[in-house]
Amino acid sequence: MTCEEARLLIGADPGATTPALEEHLATCAACARFRDEMRSLDAHIRRALERPPDMAPLRSGRPPSAWRQWALAASVVLASFAVLAVWLLRPSDTLAREVVAHVEAEPDSWLATQHVSAQGMAQALRGAGVALEVTSDRIRYAQSCWLRGHYVPHLVIQTSRGPVTVLILRHEQVRARRSFHEAGMTGIIVPAEHGSIALLARGAGDLDDIARQMQHQVHWLADAP
Amino acid sequence: MRNSEPGSPVSSIGGGVPAADADAPITRLLESMRPELLRFAHWLARDRSIAEDIVQEALLRAWRSRDALKDPGAARPWLLTIVRREHARLYERKRLELVTLDEALDTQASPGFPEPGGELFELRHAIMRLPIQYREPLILQVVGGFSTEEIARELTLSATAVLTRLFRARNKLRVICGLAAAPDAAARESLP
Repeated sequence: MTCEEARLLIGADPGATTPALEEHLATCAACARFRDEMRSLDAHIRRALERPPDMAPLRSGRPPSAWRQWALAASVVLASFAVLAVWLLRPSDTLAREVVAHVEAEPDSWLATQHVSAQGMAQALRGAGVALEVTSDRIRYAQSCWLRGHYVPHLVIQTSRGPVTVLILRHEQVRARRSFHEAGMTGIIVPAEHGSIALLARGAGDLDDIARQMQHQVHWLADAP
Repeated sequence: MRNSEPGSPVSSIGGGVPAADADAPITRLLESMRPELLRFAHWLARDRSIAEDIVQEALLRAWRSRDALKDPGAARPWLLTIVRREHARLYERKRLELVTLDEALDTQASPGFPEPGGELFELRHAIMRLPIQYREPLILQVVGGFSTEEIARELTLSATAVLTRLFRARNKLRVICGLAAAPDAAARESLP
C-alpha cells in the first residue's frame, strides 16, 4: 500500500482499518500521524453533526476592522429603521400567521382527491360574496371556514405544482403582495378587487402565477354581506 | 400533518388521527425515528422547512410500503434511505439548491448551539458549505451510519468514487480546522 492509498482510506473513513493499512502505518510515521489527526477531526465532525444545523450567522475568519464595526453598526441602525417601516406599513402582522394556523388546523384538506360537487362548492362560497371561474374538477376541497370574524371560502386546487390552498378573504385588505414561509408552507397574500386572496403550498415554490390566475377567476359580487 | 392519509399512522404523527391497533407498532416506530430523520434531512437540505417536508413525505412513503419492512431492526437504514431519495427527488425537481446558504445562515440562531468563534461552530458551517456531492456521502456515513459500499449503491457510484468524495469532504474540513490539506491523489482525475 502506498501513502496515497493509505491517506485516501484514512480520509474516507478514519475509523476503518484493514490489515494492509495497519501494515503500512507500522512503517510510515507520517501516515500514522495523519490518521491520528483525521481521527481527532472525525470526532469533531461527529459532534458537529449530532444536532441539526444551527442557523447562527457565520463568523468571518478575520477579526473585524474598525470600519467594519462602524459599517455593521450603521447597518444595524438602517435595518432597524427598515424593519420598523415595514412593520408600520404592512396591513396586519397576524393575518399570514392566522392563515397558516388555519390551514395547519385542517391537515386533511391537502389530502382530498375527490372532485368537489357543485353543491359542495355552493356551500363553500355561500355568503362569501364571490363566484369562481375555476374548473370544478381542479378543486379538491371546498369549505366555508370561520376566519377573523367571517366565513371565508377555503379551497384546495390541484395545480401543476401540486395542491394549492386558496382562501378568499373579502374582508382583509392588503396594500401589496406579501409572502411568507412558515410551518413548512410557502404562502402569499395578494390584493384583489375586494379584499385579498391568500395562497399556500407545501414546501418552497412560486405561487405568483397561480395568484394571478385566481385574481382573474374570482368574481366579487356586488351584493356581498 | 401534510400529505398524510386519513386514518394512517403517519397522519397521527402530525395530525392526531389515531392509528389502527394492528399498525400501532409501525406507527410508534415511525414516530420514534422522526427526530433522527429530521436531523438527517436537515443536514442534507440545509433548510428546516424543507427538511420537515422531506421527512413527512418520506414517512408517508414508508407507511405506504410498510409491508416491505420485514425486519424492524432494519428500519433505520430503510427510513434514512427513503429520506435521502426524497431529498434527491426534490433536488432533481428543482435542479438547484432550494435555499441559498446565506439565507439559511441568516436565520435566527437557535439557543444552545456552539458560540460563533468556536471550532465546532466553524466546523458546522463548513459542513453546511460543502458542495452536495461531498456533503451527502459524509452525512450518509456519519449521521446515517452507512458503509462505503452502501453509499456507493445508494448514490450509484463506484466504491472508489465514494472513498474519494469522503476523503475530499474531510480534507476540506481539515483545512477549516487549521490543518494542512492532504495531497489529493484523485485531483488529477475528473470528479467521480
